[in-house]
Amino acid sequence: MMKWMLAAGAAALAISSPVLADKGGRGGQGQGSQQAQSDRGGGQKQQQQARGNRGGGDRQVRMSRGGGDRQVRAQRGGGDRQVRANRSGGDRQVRAARVDRGSDRARPTRVVQDDNRGRNRGEIRTSRNDNRGRGNDRVRTENRGNDRARIARVEDNRGRGRDNGRITQLDRRGDRDVINVRDRGRDRIADFSGDRVFKVRDFGNGRVRFRDFDRDELFGRRLGYGVGGCPPGLAKKGNGCMPPGQAAKFIGQPLIAASRFGALEPLPRSFNNLFWDNDDYYYRYGGGYLYRVDRDRDLIDGLFPLFGAALIGQPLGQRYINPYYQPSYFNAFYPNSPYDCYRYGYGYVYETDCMTGLVEDVIPTYDRGYGIGQIMPASYSYYNVPYAYRSYFADDDDYYYRYAPGAIYRVDRDTALISAVAALLTGGLSVGQPLPVGYSAYNVPLAYRSTYYDTPDMWYRYDNNYIYGINPRTRVVSNVAYVIV
Amino acid sequence: MRKSAFPLALALGFTALAGCTGQNQAHKDEASKGSEAVKQAGDKTIAADLDPNSSFFKAAKAAGLDATLAGPGPYTVIVPDDAAFGKLPQGSLDSWMKPESRAELTRVMTNHILPGTVLAADIGKAIDEGKGKAVLATMGGGTLTATREGDKIVLTDGDGHKATMANTDETLANGVVHRVDTVLMPSKKA
Repeated sequence: MMKWMLAAGAAALAISSPVLADKGGRGGQGQGSQQAQSDRGGGQKQQQQARGNRGGGDRQVRMSRGGGDRQVRAQRGGGDRQVRANRSGGDRQVRAARVDRGSDRARPTRVVQDDNRGRNRGEIRTSRNDNRGRGNDRVRTENRGNDRARIARVEDNRGRGRDNGRITQLDRRGDRDVINVRDRGRDRIADFSGDRVFKVRDFGNGRVRFRDFDRDELFGRRLGYGVGGCPPGLAKKGNGCMPPGQAAKFIGQPLIAASRFGALEPLPRSFNNLFWDNDDYYYRYGGGYLYRVDRDRDLIDGLFPLFGAALIGQPLGQRYINPYYQPSYFNAFYPNSPYDCYRYGYGYVYETDCMTGLVEDVIPTYDRGYGIGQIMPASYSYYNVPYAYRSYFADDDDYYYRYAPGAIYRVDRDTALISAVAALLTGGLSVGQPLPVGYSAYNVPLAYRSTYYDTPDMWYRYDNNYIYGINPRTRVVSNVAYVIV
Repeated sequence: MRKSAFPLALALGFTALAGCTGQNQAHKDEASKGSEAVKQAGDKTIAADLDPNSSFFKAAKAAGLDATLAGPGPYTVIVPDDAAFGKLPQGSLDSWMKPESRAELTRVMTNHILPGTVLAADIGKAIDEGKGKAVLATMGGGTLTATREGDKIVLTDGDGHKATMANTDETLANGVVHRVDTVLMPSKKA
């Protein structure tokens, strides 16, 4: 009897196979699927190509972000130097910079204008004698303050071929401060002002850091668009840069107080739907901030930082970290380094100094900060739109497009403000991963349903312009079936 | 006994075959519906389909998502009607529309957008296969839970708000729109 039953079952399957193969080609993951792809005319090849694209595209995308990061980090590793400011009589210590001088060898002298912080109007001049022939590298920094002249000098007597891990001491004449400079690479530029503002530029790392000893505020800004490390679109207009604490003090003051730090302008007309003037308020922006002015009192009533900087320079409290949730893309986009430790919490990525624990940068993820009206960080300075979307979103004279986790943003060239969310993206699927919760419902676009429909042997799910094949039994993403380009 | 086994097994085999064939026919029918829907949608996008004076569209525009809904997509957009926004605590919508509340508004709006094209029938099928419920991922990073209540599909957000799907499957060039009667709030846990 068993033999008969087995024989009958086999016969049924044998009869059913051609039917499965004939049903549009998506009959099974095995032969049925391959047959179907052949029937589509190069379907298999197309699928392989799709897989290749997926792999390459994904890798490309991630590498373009992560790789960029790694490149930056490589520069840091190779050409970095840590500057430690040890304030006399206190235990406040901050790693202020990692400096890469690689791109500045052709410019032995660099003059930086202090941005008029009220009490310290001295001009800061930094000169460097690039004396490589003798194995000497000297950075001489002068500060002509209004009270007394100070000279800060960095002597780096390194020799050729052994310029890693050297610690250099910087003695500020006339002051008791001692700044230790750890040279982990070949090149650096360091600017030091007087007793109030400590300023270091880190060009290789694409950012500028400021240290104001009086207010204990440290903030970082991405460099790349403007002159002097100002946020994009601002330096171009001759505006200055301002630490967050300073900007907050303008609330309740006339607008002219803020305008001393740089020209304030109305937002372009294209942003009127975001920040619109009305009978009660009007808006002006400049110096990285948007100011809301109360018309009746003609005083600054509100302040909107156009980049995330709320906690910069502060220790990262545990209450900011969500230990139960972390986006799937987090580790790929924000890998830790020996210097920078990244933490995620409630929509924000915190870049912290691994040694001090101080927040160096706050990177809002989509819907927590990036959004229309915000400045796109200058670190997104290269076209990084995923390949599957490049045919839709190409840079033009008015706008450029950038991908950040969660979305592709359209950015206004003149202001560097995000003017629209061009496309929303998920965290993405990848072959080999279990199908995430939330993809139980079939969601393939209508135009592709005639080819990619669920069968007992294969499911199909859409995500970020890819159609993935899912093994229904294991619920694992088994392949990229198609790329919609 | 031995005599009756063969016809029984054969019958079982043919029954299974008939089931597969019927299922395949159903898939083909669904696929043909999809093709028809694509033809009917033409070039009209979700953004063009929404009433520009509706609360949902105004909120989407304030969050910068009007361009998204006019883009390539495809997305499944769950659109609460104006009455749904009226059920919110007084002043909520006005508050969201302010520049300083844009992040919160964005979280709310992206909680109504799903990746891909999910028809009501797809949700229903997922509910049936998921033992009475289906979890749907949103573009905001959260999830909605779909269940059946009578012949209606009900979506529940992370905070327990329930929205009944009314007019469903408005197919457009870049996705599909379902109308609901409640605003679905994002979970406060994320």
